[in-house]
Amino acid sequence: MLEARGIMVFYENMLAINNVSIKCEEGQIVGIFGANSAGKTTLMYTISGIMLDIKRKEEMAGGERITVLGEIRYNGEDIKNLKPSERARRGIILCPERRRIFAESSVLENLKIGAYLATTSQAKETLEYVFTIFPPLRELKGRTGGFLSGGEQQMLAIGRALMAQPKLLLLDEPLLGLSPAIQSMLIRAIREIRDQKGIALIITEQYARPVLPIVDYAYILENGSAVLEGRGKELLENPDVKAAYFGM
Amino acid sequence: MDNEGPLKRFNKKVDIIIYGTINSIALALMALGFTLVYGISRLPNFAHGALYVITGFIVWGFINTLGLNYFLAIILSLAITGLIGAAIYQFVLIRVRGMAISEIIASYAIALAILEGLRWGGFKGMTYTLPVFMEGGVEIFGVPVDLQRLIVVGIGIVVVAFLWLFTHYNKIGLALRGMAQDERAAMMLGIDSDRMAVIAMALGSVLAGLAAVVLLPLGNIVVEAGYRVLIFAIAVCIVGGLGSWVGAVLAAFIIGFAQIITVAYIESHFHMVVALLAIIITLILRPSGLFGRQKELEERV
Repeated sequence: MLEARGIMVFYENMLAINNVSIKCEEGQIVGIFGANSAGKTTLMYTISGIMLDIKRKEEMAGGERITVLGEIRYNGEDIKNLKPSERARRGIILCPERRRIFAESSVLENLKIGAYLATTSQAKETLEYVFTIFPPLRELKGRTGGFLSGGEQQMLAIGRALMAQPKLLLLDEPLLGLSPAIQSMLIRAIREIRDQKGIALIITEQYARPVLPIVDYAYILENGSAVLEGRGKELLENPDVKAAYFGM
Repeated sequence: MDNEGPLKRFNKKVDIIIYGTINSIALALMALGFTLVYGISRLPNFAHGALYVITGFIVWGFINTLGLNYFLAIILSLAITGLIGAAIYQFVLIRVRGMAISEIIASYAIALAILEGLRWGGFKGMTYTLPVFMEGGVEIFGVPVDLQRLIVVGIGIVVVAFLWLFTHYNKIGLALRGMAQDERAAMMLGIDSDRMAVIAMALGSVLAGLAAVVLLPLGNIVVEAGYRVLIFAIAVCIVGGLGSWVGAVLAAFIIGFAQIITVAYIESHFHMVVALLAIIITLILRPSGLFGRQKELEERV
């Protein structure tokens, strides 16, 4: 479905991503794990096209020169030069790090804004689905986005991304700063999204342990390079991984 | 204001309330388009006043040289102004997007070219006027008000109601609000930033044109109005908090009433002084304006 090959991203002369290749098949959940500044968000921005927008703005402001190399294919099509909105139209939706919900709009409005690409009937149906997998959102419909708790905001961010009718959903650190109870609730929801809607997912996290059980294939990033990859279960048993990412 | 007629001294408090309200709504009409464009795309459109004036001349031209029906002329002119606004973004501002100073210089250059071009082309003097929509007037609590001013109030209310409905129930309107709050998050949902900016500019220009169409029949169409409207719009925006629509309406009432009160108690040519003072006082006491977004707070959270 998605194949990124030899991705390299430079901020000026700093190499943020070094020759990373990742693959995500139809209906798969792919994990990308790594510490802070390993390049996870940069990789997500590169796949979703946001990097092109950052690059354009930096160039206009005379800031850092950003260079993106490599090949990104989505269902056989080269999408490397497509704008983020074009990629979104093709089904690649990014649910960003730190959620970035529309803080001044209500929960329902956030979801409606998310439905920009959906038809009226798709929007109606997806809204019902979002309320089914995240029941608290139904109660909070009228609440202003900025007044939600972290866990509620994350549910809203994922719900909003679902409204955009993704075929490949990118979740950038969805569990960041959340309690274990909410984390496991979100993980269950993520698995349901894949199982019930057939949406493929790429999830990045700092700590692999909570997510690894639902992950089909995983990559481990270190300083911008993919140092390890393998099936979720294999990585779970790898002693290096255990030491580095589970704190054992 | 472009209205010289009843700006005599107001003696009664009822006068102040009625004409204050009319003046405030007129200011809100002038400023809403500017606020809308800034709120959505962070684009200070200094061509706003020029779009206001050019709409007046286009309507005049349609009526007096092509002999079109007044209503048809208005609709056509608004469409043309919308297209001009969209073209200004698509062909000029898009190249300097994100650089505030360049955006101001580029849009102000366009404004100067339009306004001074009109002056150079001979569009000056007292000969250019638009007819009022309806002749006559009524008395409200003993205060005579002409029908055109009541139409200004009516259109002002309709515009605010329309904008509210548009941004709360229409897909494009909701997307514009998403853009206004977090451009990048909106982009991730498939909302195209340039497309939204073009729509915002077109809508903002139509609003400038609409203000011109209802306000210009109260006076003459003069090039200077372009500069005046721009300064009023900026004053309203700064007092209300850049990009806040609620703030803009509230600020229009504050400045609008302050202007009428100076007319009543001091002198009748202080409109501009009041607007400029409002800018200065706001920048000293509360730089973010009445409803300015509290950026620092957001970042802390």
